[in-house]
Amino acid sequence: MAAPTTSKPPVRLAALYMPNGVNVAEWFPADKGSDYKLTPSLEPLRDLKDRVLVLSNLWNAASKGGDGHYVKEAAILTCTTIKKTPGADIANGISLDQLAALRVKNETPLPSLELGVTPVAIGVDAVVGYTRIYGSHIAWSNPTTPLAREINPRSAYERLFGAASGPKGNSAKMDALLLDRVLGDARMLRNRVGATDKIRLDEYLSVMRGLEERVQRASQKTANSWKPRVAIDASAAPPERPKDHAEHVRLMLDMMALAFQSDTTRVSTFMFGNAVSNVSFRFLEGVSAGHHDVSHHQKDADKLRQYQLINRWHVEQFAYLLNKLAGMKEGASTVLDNSMVLFASALSDGNKHDPHNLPLLLGGGGGGRLDTGRHLGYTEDTPLANLYVSMLDAFGAPVERFADSTGPLPGVLKAA
Amino acid sequence: MTPAARFPLLLAASALATAQSFEQSQTFLRLYCAKCHEGTSPAAGFHLRSVAEPTSLKDNARKWTSLALRVRNVEMPPKNSPIPPLDERERFIGWVDHAVRVEACAAGPRGGPSPAHRLNRDEYAATIRDLFDMHLDIGQRLPADGAGGEGFDNAAETLFLSPLHAEKYLETAKLLADFAAREFKPRQRILVAKPGPGVTPTEAARRILDTFLPRAFRRPVPAAEAAPYLALYESARKQGLAFEPSVFFAIRAALVSPHFLFRVEPPNTTGAPRPLDQYALASRLSYFLWGSMPDELLLDVAASGQLQDPEVLRTMVGRMLRHDRSLNFAQRFIEQWLHTRELGGEKAPDAKLFPTYATDEELRADIRFQPILFFREVLVRGLPLTELIDSKYTIGTSNLTKHYGLTNLPLDKTRLKQPQLVEMPPGTNRGGLLGMAAVLAVSSHPYRTSPVLRGAWILDSMLGTPPPPPPANVPPLEDAMEPSSAKSMRERLEQHRLNPVCASCHSRIDPLGFALENYDAIGRWRDQDGGKPIDAAGTLIDGTAFNGPAELKKALFDRKDLFVRNITGRMLGYALGRGLSLTDSCAVDDIVAKVKENDYSSKAWIEAIVLSAPFREQAPAAVPARTSKERTKQ
Repeated sequence: MAAPTTSKPPVRLAALYMPNGVNVAEWFPADKGSDYKLTPSLEPLRDLKDRVLVLSNLWNAASKGGDGHYVKEAAILTCTTIKKTPGADIANGISLDQLAALRVKNETPLPSLELGVTPVAIGVDAVVGYTRIYGSHIAWSNPTTPLAREINPRSAYERLFGAASGPKGNSAKMDALLLDRVLGDARMLRNRVGATDKIRLDEYLSVMRGLEERVQRASQKTANSWKPRVAIDASAAPPERPKDHAEHVRLMLDMMALAFQSDTTRVSTFMFGNAVSNVSFRFLEGVSAGHHDVSHHQKDADKLRQYQLINRWHVEQFAYLLNKLAGMKEGASTVLDNSMVLFASALSDGNKHDPHNLPLLLGGGGGGRLDTGRHLGYTEDTPLANLYVSMLDAFGAPVERFADSTGPLPGVLKAA
Repeated sequence: MTPAARFPLLLAASALATAQSFEQSQTFLRLYCAKCHEGTSPAAGFHLRSVAEPTSLKDNARKWTSLALRVRNVEMPPKNSPIPPLDERERFIGWVDHAVRVEACAAGPRGGPSPAHRLNRDEYAATIRDLFDMHLDIGQRLPADGAGGEGFDNAAETLFLSPLHAEKYLETAKLLADFAAREFKPRQRILVAKPGPGVTPTEAARRILDTFLPRAFRRPVPAAEAAPYLALYESARKQGLAFEPSVFFAIRAALVSPHFLFRVEPPNTTGAPRPLDQYALASRLSYFLWGSMPDELLLDVAASGQLQDPEVLRTMVGRMLRHDRSLNFAQRFIEQWLHTRELGGEKAPDAKLFPTYATDEELRADIRFQPILFFREVLVRGLPLTELIDSKYTIGTSNLTKHYGLTNLPLDKTRLKQPQLVEMPPGTNRGGLLGMAAVLAVSSHPYRTSPVLRGAWILDSMLGTPPPPPPANVPPLEDAMEPSSAKSMRERLEQHRLNPVCASCHSRIDPLGFALENYDAIGRWRDQDGGKPIDAAGTLIDGTAFNGPAELKKALFDRKDLFVRNITGRMLGYALGRGLSLTDSCAVDDIVAKVKENDYSSKAWIEAIVLSAPFREQAPAAVPARTSKERTKQ
């Protein structure tokens, strides 16, 4: 591997989404501040306690009502109420990660990296009247465009490797020629179609232009061009078919870490599952049912116990990623020091489909800006969007407002 | 389909549709809605005035359907307001559905919008296969598509593009062009000319592209559109590439062009509905029945201008269904309609509890393909649609025979493992879709059966009357029962139904599911569960009583019109690749009528869909309204 470069490390932003909420009693610590006692579900963070913020009492007002899952999940990073539709006119807001990505999209080969482990849920949920597309996407580049995710670890790796190693020979020039041609086709076609199709072609033009810009940037080598901070190891390709859910999750988180370490992108999201995910967690000792089934615990002690074990497993994966980033040195700091990793579910108690008091963790140093190591409790129903205002600030993409925010979230950032 | 068209709620409601007058609807609205929706500042800007005149059923149809949807889902009236009793609610909802449709259908079925379709990943893969005559598992390289409309992944409105798509299209095109350049069959298909005596390289490239581009773009390509591709070839030569790589470079570009990636139909600027363009119709047909590009014959018929001829269309439909490619259609339709695709994902039966299923790959494939192949046989042979409810025939293999515990299926001994249509002896309980393991497994939990899930599955998938969502404020189940008691599922659910709020829907869901309790979570027959004999009796609230699957199927057979209407709406939505509108549901009514006249023949059914106005016609293009920039403005 090449030696890490010494320029000031960039700040990275990631969000991990866990479906189906938490066993509330086993999640939120009783006491606030830095001396709080880790709850059973948060116990995997014991060695990372000073690198993490536990947040309580934030809520997502936009996800109230609607239905039990889609409205919540799709809004977790947008804080926007989605439009109820079987598909003809999907509408959400721009998501936290994409707002951040807009700011840095020209600085890295990939503007952002969307990862998951389960394919898009198919169909329309006829019971509630929402297309399942909503339940399968947390990253939205604009109100009508959810971003497709990579779920195959090998493809994700090849994508990173290809993007980081840049074009070979005259391939960038050929790609540019090709893209110029197809953009020409699209413009011509756009002129002769109706209003609805124009919108579709605008979408095509926009993504192809984005690709063209990237190809051009990659082919114009200058002193300021992007270079990987750490070269991606050509022999480290992960298997195409992970043996189980647990290995699949780890491999995808590895890809996120690799993307951050090499600086192939600075923004990434990962979904542990789609909304209403009923992935079987029987691979965990003591769990006998699917995720969504268990989340509807109906106060049954045994289901609550299983629910907690599933929550805890997710926190272990979060800890795995933080440890991985902490092990990646860059100059005097580590990639974790320069990252913000959000862990979020869009529900509190899954049994009640409750968007109050969301389970939220924020790990990493945020480039020295995050004031971690505490449990911060807020007054009831403080907007989740306030957290995003603070995160965007630390990322270097400050905003006045984000959705229904009322200001930054006190206590998250170190005093200036 | 509009939500309203799915309203005739559960089994009992269908007969109630017309049992109300406009006046009665006004009484209902005044009684339950006037408190908030009148006066100077009506709630949510909705004033009852807008639905107070009979003409509003036509002019304000959307208002009617959306208010009925809210009543159906018990979102309105809101909490703490008087809620209409269920029967009153259903009468109202059923009436709205009927009345709005009567108004909308006065002018007869018409063509609808024809939005551009991006090829979804299955269509992309199949199109590549047919375009190059090569078999490559290319679909997996592209992001999976979601679904909208009537629940299928070919719905134009949800086939959005993200940056990942752009990247993958570029990359995959390179891979495909490189592959095609090396393989015998694709080379033969593509390289129809070569430079030589009297043929300059440019001339050869021109001939190759003039043959390839119309096939790739599925229509004639005017010289002005083809010229830039020849220019690409020339540019590649200037870059130092040899003849063939330069040709394949131009071909690679065509695979990323919107002309290839999208099915765009020429807009109708006439201001009135008109017959669809011949080539657009050829593509509609081929993406409907094959999930792929039109073949030469279809394009030839389109070129001759005869594709709108009903006789020609009928001939085409028969021919296309008999072709191997229709398997792709049967698979995509069935797996999404019945949700059996999920058997490969979250609905996969638990490996520890059902090791036979988990370890036997052949059995799994047989289970998954049974409904697909059965459906295809019904179509190819023109059997009645009611065969899907119950049938003497099924698809059998030696694995399935064993799984089902049947010993006397007359399978062809020379090909026991090959799926085949077989006649079953009486009393097997394996007729129709409900006798198939795929359906019985996907409507169960991975680890046990659930009468609730199976009942809801029947209401949604078979009858098109999904139960409304559980009200937000129902007390949790355990308030009515002790948790983890040793009670049977039936006892628990009966207790659940002691609560009248739960009972209003569960008394209609659960009995349907109980009738299937003799099948375990992977569809095997059982007489006992947990040491207790299975009780498969149920009574619907209209008094229909049944015991076991045979009697349940009879009850469904008696409601076959509801079933046919449901599957017709779904199939029309699949055929058009978009959600259905109110006007489309008029076409659904017509198609259902034709099917009934023809003894429920599936041949008549598919033909009526293809010959329907929404499939063959095109509405005037929408007036330019908002640009996408305006649309996406924050």
